[in-house]
Amino acid sequence: MDRYHWLLIFHMAGAFMALSGATLAGIFNIAALRRERPSEIVVLYRLTRIAVVSVLAGMTVALGFGLWLVADLDFVKWSDAWVITAVILWLVANALGGNGGRRDRRARELAERLAAEGDQPSPELRSSLRDPITLAMSWGSGAVVIVILVLMIWKPGH
Amino acid sequence: MLAILRPDSWNFPLFLHVLGAMVVTGATAAAFIGAVSSRRWPWLRLVVARTLFLATFPAWLLMRLAGQWIDSKENIPGDPGWLGVGFLVGDAGFVLLIVAMILGAVSVRRPQRSWPIGAVAVITGVYFVALVVAMVAMTGKPGS
Repeated sequence: MDRYHWLLIFHMAGAFMALSGATLAGIFNIAALRRERPSEIVVLYRLTRIAVVSVLAGMTVALGFGLWLVADLDFVKWSDAWVITAVILWLVANALGGNGGRRDRRARELAERLAAEGDQPSPELRSSLRDPITLAMSWGSGAVVIVILVLMIWKPGH
Repeated sequence: MLAILRPDSWNFPLFLHVLGAMVVTGATAAAFIGAVSSRRWPWLRLVVARTLFLATFPAWLLMRLAGQWIDSKENIPGDPGWLGVGFLVGDAGFVLLIVAMILGAVSVRRPQRSWPIGAVAVITGVYFVALVVAMVAMTGKPGS
């Protein structure tokens, strides 16, 4: 295999880690929305941490090897609109995911406190889990990564 | 940055194939993590069974059907090994996921038995590794 294919493998591995991790996080998030007992919600939040590590590592690897590919290939330029747009969307996805994650932390801390204080279902926890801004940020981050995938495949303007 | 030079008509099936592969990989990982963790938290068995039925298998279908669609367009000469790996992992996934879904349902219906969810953990773990191998083979296309 030549260098292009090795770089592509690592770039794709990063993209897989990011989107597979987002899927993993989405599945545990939906499961948490369906549970009532705080201790069960805490477990699902802990399992989601594995997904967060996968997403963060994947986004970093995908960007790093993606930029290396741009530098290495003659027929892809730094000034290509799809390259610039993809980098901007990468920043947007990270900002959305980071903010969504910070807001999720408050729900996790509330669930941990309620689990330690009798483990009874709570309307406050339910509304915290279903906070529309948090959900929009977390799921929006995943949607932006899918848009990046669209750009990578179609390469508009190339 | 996926393969650089290809006709525009290949883009949509390729997008569906790659998206399906990414989702099936994540959903398989979710089922594996849930199955392993269910030894400590048995209620996770229901999460595993639902994940296999509502996420893993539909994503597998998307990956496999879109893969067949793009294969019919590409008309790849010969029978390269990387394509064989992709077909092998794709087709084996059908059998493995059907078995995992049945065992996942059994583990929910028969909570006193622990071997069905243990078998789900083994199957999903093996299939996750196979998916990663297929991703490397189909991206690097060694030998072509």
